[in-house]
Amino acid sequence: MKKLLVIIVLIFSFSVIYAQEEKEKKYPKLPAVDVKTVNGTTFNTSNISNDGKPVIISLWATWCKPCVAELVAIADVYDDWVEETGVKLYAISIDDSKTAARVAPFVSGKGWDYEVLQDPNWDFKRAMNVPDVPYLCILNGNGEIVWQHSSYAPGSEEEVYQELLKIIKK
Amino acid sequence: MRKIYIFARLASLIALVCTCVSVTNAQHVVGNGKISGEFGFNGMYYIPDSLIGAEPVDSKVRANTYLSLMYNNGGFTVGAQYEFYSFPLIDFEKIGYKGQGLTRYYFDYKHKIIQVTAGTFYEQFGNGFTLRSYEERQLGVDNSLLGARIKLTPYQGITIKGVWGIMRNNFDFDYIHRQDFVRGIDGEFAFGDIFPVIAEKGFTATIGGSFVSKYEKSDNDIYVDVFPGTEEETYGIIHADKIPANVASWSTRLNFGYKGFRFEAEFAQKVNDPNATNQYIYKNGNALFLSATYSMKGLGVSASFIRSDNMDFRSQRLALAKTPVLAINCIPAINRQYTYQLISNYSYASQPNGQIGAQLQVNYQIPKKTKLGGKYGTDITFNYSRFHDIDRKAVPLADSLGTMSGTDGYTSGFFKFGKKLLYQDVGVEISHRFDKRWKLILAYNYITYNMDVLQGHGGMLQGHLVSSDLTCKINNKHALRLELQHLYTKEDKGSWLYGMLEYSISPNWFISVGDQWNYGNSDKSHRIHYYNVSAAFVWHTTRIALNFGKTREGVLCIGGVCRSVPASYGMGLSVTTSF
Repeated sequence: MKKLLVIIVLIFSFSVIYAQEEKEKKYPKLPAVDVKTVNGTTFNTSNISNDGKPVIISLWATWCKPCVAELVAIADVYDDWVEETGVKLYAISIDDSKTAARVAPFVSGKGWDYEVLQDPNWDFKRAMNVPDVPYLCILNGNGEIVWQHSSYAPGSEEEVYQELLKIIKK
Repeated sequence: MRKIYIFARLASLIALVCTCVSVTNAQHVVGNGKISGEFGFNGMYYIPDSLIGAEPVDSKVRANTYLSLMYNNGGFTVGAQYEFYSFPLIDFEKIGYKGQGLTRYYFDYKHKIIQVTAGTFYEQFGNGFTLRSYEERQLGVDNSLLGARIKLTPYQGITIKGVWGIMRNNFDFDYIHRQDFVRGIDGEFAFGDIFPVIAEKGFTATIGGSFVSKYEKSDNDIYVDVFPGTEEETYGIIHADKIPANVASWSTRLNFGYKGFRFEAEFAQKVNDPNATNQYIYKNGNALFLSATYSMKGLGVSASFIRSDNMDFRSQRLALAKTPVLAINCIPAINRQYTYQLISNYSYASQPNGQIGAQLQVNYQIPKKTKLGGKYGTDITFNYSRFHDIDRKAVPLADSLGTMSGTDGYTSGFFKFGKKLLYQDVGVEISHRFDKRWKLILAYNYITYNMDVLQGHGGMLQGHLVSSDLTCKINNKHALRLELQHLYTKEDKGSWLYGMLEYSISPNWFISVGDQWNYGNSDKSHRIHYYNVSAAFVWHTTRIALNFGKTREGVLCIGGVCRSVPASYGMGLSVTTSF
């Protein structure tokens, strides 16, 4: 009986997703989840904004090599991106209490100019349905998630840049 | 005890009904709401290989699968997750994953100052010294709570949380016979938010505290093996009326910052908790964590200290597994976390019942456009960490049997390092980009790892690891990456060589070949090549990966939590997607 119930729920859910896709494409907004600033204060992700300009959100961790490689690659061109598109990057670290205290010094040691937030018990990661890091998404000026990608291959930052250009042209 | 279960069941039923109602009605409101989810499949075709120790298995094709769905509309969120382990991966079957079921169902409502959750949820208080319920899917760790949570934010900067629930035991769904539950409360005050004038002057200060209590019925005497680890079978008895049903733990924490400087401290205590991990002693447990960091652009320094003594805190006093089964709290391992293949088997695992140690890390960037820094700057990381067992002096034994069970067990000088070294790591890593095409990361580590304590046998291991990671970006789309590692050691299985070449076509394709070669094994017939070939395709948030090869027997560690994995050989397919 319980299994039957589950199957019914799943079928319903899929039909709903289907129904959703048939309507005109509507971009989702970021979930409102409490995360931490590097100073240990609480920050709600619904407050992520950039005065109508695009925002990049990167979920990363100090122990995740491809995550760091991606953020380093973006750092090399970040000044140009900011100048051309006004973009702001939020690097949300999923380091838990083992390494959370070292996130801020790590970021400064890399010389990154990103906004840094921390999600130590993965509440934001779960709300975003992200199975693994690295994960990156782009919000348009209205705070809607218009593009997302997981994994990092050298050069994929170029695609991020093209997406940013598309947003500011709209 | 049925009462506890009925209460939890009621909360979950409400959550389930709300899920169904909202989902079936969703078509009407979906315009304002959002359905999202995540799907994962991890399958493997096993081939036996007696040389590496991959045993024949009864069903050769096995997989772990899960689907989770979430519906959100304004302040409402409902969600559920179904997990299938009918024929689970071998290592999951060994830790009790078998069957299928609805493992998560919850209802969450948030309105201005209040947030209420009913059903399964994850929660962490402070650094997790009193409560941390979390999931680590690849390790099979899941200690979510089934019950209810209230979170209040009466004023900007003030957060109060209260939780009650029965803890999930990985994949054991036998909630109805459970005789234990966890309840807790946590408060946090961020002075920078409450008094903006403080923040304007560049100061931040947060204080917090939590109290967590476990209830577990005690109506059975416990027979304690007096000589654990030996074949001698002598048992001491602890009578049921001497076993506390309630175990309390609490902590206070402080976080202070001024410009680039930050100081953090947390101190936790636990009382009255004789359990299987501490040989049923009554000593009070405690844990102290201190951390000081300094950051300025181009430089970051961090120093931290941890000491924990008898702080293994679980939902059931008989739970003993090395992996944190039913762990209520989490005392972190604060060493640097590495992803190098060859030392992943020698990764430090936190010892909540006894560890004292420190970690120092310096991150420095030689500025861009200088002689040493080059056009892009050079990043240097230096790291040192060392952990010992705590100092222990045994107290006089409680009874003629010679068991310390039922006593305080031992006394310990608070800041005194015990003689037994558990782990040490000295490391330096240099990362430099030469031009648009070439990038190199070079690293050296010297590790000392106590296999007796951390793996149960094998003595002390000393190893030198040299690793390099060279990336050649052929053009904007194509890149080659070569990883080489050499571990030199005389202990355990001896020295290893590792090489991996990855070709990526951004942003969709990854192809790699790799080999771990145990060339230094003293037994010549075991100088095995653990080769691996893999291909992955990534499209937005969907990833499909296929791999073929051998995995060595060892310890899988993710972020300081470890579990042993058997050797395996075969073909694997994994699919993950989120929508």
